[in-house]
Amino acid sequence: MSLNDDRPKKPVGADLIIPVAASLYALYYVASVWDFPPEAQRSGIFLAAMLLLFSGLFFVRVGLMAVRGQARWDFSAVLGPTERRLHRAGFLGLIFVYLFVVEWGGFTLTTFAFLFAGSWLAGLRPPGKAALFAAVAALGGWLFFVVVLGTRFPVGPFERLVAMVPTPWS
Amino acid sequence: MELNPATLLELFWHSLSMWWLIIPAVMIGILMGAIPGFAAHNTIIMLLPLTLVFDVDLALTFMVALYCASHLGGGIPAILLNIPGTGGAAATTLDGYPMSRAGLAAKALALSFVASVVGGLITAGITLFLLPFLSQVGFHIRSVEMVVIMLFGLALIAAIAAQDMLKGLIAGAFGLMLGAMGADHIYATPRGTFGILELFDGVPLVPALIGLFAISEALVMLERRTIAKTNAAQVTPTWPQSLRNIFHAFKHGWTIAWSSVLGLVIGVLPGAGASIAAFVAYQQARIFSKTPEKFGTGHEPAIVAPEAANNGVTTGTLVPLLAIGIPGGSTAAVMMVVLQYHGVPFGPRLFITEPLLAYGVIMSMFVAYLFMLVTMFPMARYLSRITVVATYYMAPLIVAFTLVGAFVPRGFMTDIAIAVAFGVIGYVARKTGYHVAAILIGVILGPLIERSFLLTMRIHGNDLMALFSSPIGNVLWGLLALTLILPPILHRRAHRRGKAEADDVY
Repeated sequence: MSLNDDRPKKPVGADLIIPVAASLYALYYVASVWDFPPEAQRSGIFLAAMLLLFSGLFFVRVGLMAVRGQARWDFSAVLGPTERRLHRAGFLGLIFVYLFVVEWGGFTLTTFAFLFAGSWLAGLRPPGKAALFAAVAALGGWLFFVVVLGTRFPVGPFERLVAMVPTPWS
Repeated sequence: MELNPATLLELFWHSLSMWWLIIPAVMIGILMGAIPGFAAHNTIIMLLPLTLVFDVDLALTFMVALYCASHLGGGIPAILLNIPGTGGAAATTLDGYPMSRAGLAAKALALSFVASVVGGLITAGITLFLLPFLSQVGFHIRSVEMVVIMLFGLALIAAIAAQDMLKGLIAGAFGLMLGAMGADHIYATPRGTFGILELFDGVPLVPALIGLFAISEALVMLERRTIAKTNAAQVTPTWPQSLRNIFHAFKHGWTIAWSSVLGLVIGVLPGAGASIAAFVAYQQARIFSKTPEKFGTGHEPAIVAPEAANNGVTTGTLVPLLAIGIPGGSTAAVMMVVLQYHGVPFGPRLFITEPLLAYGVIMSMFVAYLFMLVTMFPMARYLSRITVVATYYMAPLIVAFTLVGAFVPRGFMTDIAIAVAFGVIGYVARKTGYHVAAILIGVILGPLIERSFLLTMRIHGNDLMALFSSPIGNVLWGLLALTLILPPILHRRAHRRGKAEADDVY
């Protein structure tokens, strides 16, 4: 058996995600400027050509590896270790939930809920400890950013309620 | 603005008057720098709502103080745990950890602190005096050269910082492509926006950097239970011992001075960050040492050289940003985003319109290092515990506080969604070896390169050959070509030599 056959195959599936996504975006970009006058097209096409050239070279490299039997189609690199994979997926889902809730939930309440659920999903036990951590961090953040610095964060029921209470800072 | 003693004194007092901001920034920077894998730019991103609310000089002072302090903090876990807090501290582990295991952790920490602070002071001082000359560079650079410089900077990042050059180039070009999103400069017609109205002005930089750095970092972080091992060596020397150790460290003054200057020079190159500077400094210290055989066994010069160099880099990375408006690394890119938000110009215009700010950045660094001189005494005693931070606290905190930070600049909910989208891109990029900083720098440079390109075309009647019409530009094109061609050739040659040696053995 040759030395090449003994060599472990390189997982390449996940490596293709970025160049494929980038190439698709470059094509979409070129399509979006297709009807433009030439002077408005030029810079975009220059950048798209550069990106497609690099991605093309990468595809050729991966293709050659595949032909030589040195590549293995594997996407596990992007998913991370198998341990607690579901929890991490749940955490990512929580981020998407945050996106939709923060608009009407406001900074403080949404941050509290996210920190509580997020830290619990990430492994903080018991739930009481997670709730205490979330409450301290959310209120601390509200005090520091909103009250002290006056930062423009999304406003929700908590902020509106506090605004109704006469305080030295309002 | 002429840089005379009176101006310097004025700058110094102005920076000193911000002590109330510098001291907490230094504390936060050291603490966060000591958390392995949590870089300075992530801390700055977490505190973006703060820096966006502050006046620009306060924001800048806060960021540079935090940045410098994080480099000092990075040496702590490198010495105590054999885990570098920042990439720049990787070389410190080689001799710092052996010293720690030999019961000399307090001494190693003192060496690291003194080298960091003195190295930072030296390079900040040198940069301050060189800045009037460096600020003139921008006057000799026209739109043709700007196009090449930007491409050259990205190519350098791909060649030096990224592990795989082709992946680095793809990351940089992808960033440029994303940065070119939005209304075109001539007819104001949207391009590549997916019909999203909030993207018509281009990719908002704050959400992009929050996603690429902070969100992706939090997602990767969750793969571990804690950010560092829990078997931290506990070191609490007495006050007199701490003082003795610190005075002893000044014996290595020459190594510190030379290594920090080396760090400054390397820091100016885009992409060649603190980790490269630290290893180069370590290597040169060994070459010129009378006892090179002691390197790797817990040798004192082997700790001061990398630590001084990685702190020299901190001022170096800001030079291209200030002089020509091109960020040399991740933290400089983050600072550029904040400064752009405040409407601060870069390059020669910065030195004309905001000279106090331009020189003040470096003076703030100098003052921050002076404050570190004071704070390192108590810090040297109590810092070994902070590296043990459970990810179930850190990851949700990072996401919650940075996502809402994406909302602050424009008040659009869509910006939070954009941050999440960039977070997913950043996560995939990190997991598959694409350089996240190259993507961000591409996003920042995208609109700038496009503007310079269009200007060149307009001036030269749409003649593409105009890109090769400038002598400086042509030299840079040559260097760019070398940057792209040489690494694969050298790599192939090294591979062949290695194979030949292996064949000889068999």
